[in-house]
Amino acid sequence: MKSYVLITGASGGLGKAFAAECASRGWNLFLTDLAEQPLATAATGIERLYGVEVLHHTCDLTDAASREALWQHIGRSRLSFHMLINVAGIDYEGPFDERKVDELCAIVRLNIEATVDTTRRILPFRDPARTLRIVNVSSLAGYYPMPIKAVYAASKRFLLDFSLALNQELRAGGVTVTALCPAGMPTNPICIRAIDAQGFAGWATTMNVGDVAARTVDMALAGRSVYVPGAVNQALRWLGALVPPSVIAFVINRRWRESYRKSHSVPARPQRSSPEQASI
Amino acid sequence: MITQQDLKSKTIVITGATAGIGLAAARALAGRGAYVIGVGRSAERCGEARQAILSEHPNARIDYCVADLSSQRQARALAASIGERVEAAGEGKIDILINNAGTVSSWYVATEDGYELQFAVNHLAPFLLTHELMPMLRAAPSARVITTSSGSHYRTSMHWADVMYRRRYSCLAVYKQSKLANVLFTAEFNRRLGDGSTVRAYAVDPGLVNTEIGLKGTGGIEEWVWQWRRRGGVSAEQGAATAIFLASEPVLEDPGAIYWKDCRPAQPSRYARRPEEAARLWSLSERLCGIVGMVERPAAHEVRGNLEAVEA
Repeated sequence: MKSYVLITGASGGLGKAFAAECASRGWNLFLTDLAEQPLATAATGIERLYGVEVLHHTCDLTDAASREALWQHIGRSRLSFHMLINVAGIDYEGPFDERKVDELCAIVRLNIEATVDTTRRILPFRDPARTLRIVNVSSLAGYYPMPIKAVYAASKRFLLDFSLALNQELRAGGVTVTALCPAGMPTNPICIRAIDAQGFAGWATTMNVGDVAARTVDMALAGRSVYVPGAVNQALRWLGALVPPSVIAFVINRRWRESYRKSHSVPARPQRSSPEQASI
Repeated sequence: MITQQDLKSKTIVITGATAGIGLAAARALAGRGAYVIGVGRSAERCGEARQAILSEHPNARIDYCVADLSSQRQARALAASIGERVEAAGEGKIDILINNAGTVSSWYVATEDGYELQFAVNHLAPFLLTHELMPMLRAAPSARVITTSSGSHYRTSMHWADVMYRRRYSCLAVYKQSKLANVLFTAEFNRRLGDGSTVRAYAVDPGLVNTEIGLKGTGGIEEWVWQWRRRGGVSAEQGAATAIFLASEPVLEDPGAIYWKDCRPAQPSRYARRPEEAARLWSLSERLCGIVGMVERPAAHEVRGNLEAVEA
């Protein structure tokens, strides 16, 4: 029976890197994202490069009806899966009081609600012959309360705890869940500028998205619960565990306000991109 | 000595023509009377480049097309709009295509098509654009496809195990591979065209040129190193000299030479001269661009012709 890897947020930078990584391992893909044209273009390119089958279907994961339609389509196509990579995520970066209510709630709907929804719905469609590997893209931000990115960081915290708990709960039934917690990822010019704006710290915490995708898949296959890419980031994670959250929030507030000003010398505008290159 | 008259009848397409080598070549060739179509990523920079050339040569025939060559969709649309411009100018042919646009990136960035940015812009875009413009190049009595390569192509090989360098990405290694690909493309293209073809391809080593290429997708160390290195480079005008020479010289002393530096043939790397590597890159590029039989190898063409005859 043919089995697939489901990747959400597949036309973003990290999504495409995961797609290429999985395709390079000879796995067939099922990609989803918001817009048809970028999704179809990426699917064609990856199919040509790796010679695997790449299916795609658009879905607005923040919309319950659209999600329902996606799974109706999957059910009709009689697909089965051995891996799910929940990449779709969003951040409207900027101070809380400058963001619209809709934007803030969209972060919660996509990062939390859609991930829970997809993770639950894929279970009946798992390939019975294989362990189902689930990867949730959390963030290093999930380890800290983060001013300027309060809703985003809290949503990533949700994904981290959600993954840790599910990995224990579902393991006996042949499902593993891995949380990927990267720092900023240089996937597009906006993200690269944001990383440059952080100077040395940005450079030291940044890893190539191709390597991150490759190692994450290795970690998922090993059934690891958390993967923090990069030695500096791993140190930051443990440092975060030693310092009280209120102190961390204080420090980050000062640091981020400064770098936010640097990278947004023009008036703030909503960005449909988090450091992880979120895309719906 | 080349006179104005010589280039009046020429149509020349130059990619990456809003700065550096491409702009210098566009200015010089349009100044000598050729009809030049420049290509740039930003409409604003295209407009500025056009104005700069017109202010120097008020009678120059210069147009610009906007396209981001990292996207195959845009490269194909570009070829179509170049075709329209060429028709509108009453030319119906392209004499010279200068595949000059190039980029660097500190990080692995996937293009719209899911390919690595430098490989896509520096190699696949010239391959695809040449394919798309082939009917117009064939329509010229004598056409040349000139690709800006670099001395960076020495001392490297194709990274076949992971041609997109998704793992262990290195800005310089990826750039070097893409410049090697330019020479391999040129060699294989000529091989496929055969000796009697009116279309010939050349790769150019411009030397170390003081342009902004090293500042494009970089930051930190790469940017700092390039800022320091570029000071030792020649001007963009000097860097463009060989491309201008190949675009305008009616008869070359050694038309079979594929690699040119300082307006003279030079020896490309041993690896770049391996036909089996060039053929492998060619078939990969065809597959990645969704092209079937851009230029058939003469033998393959005969075989196919025979098969068709049998089927008929």
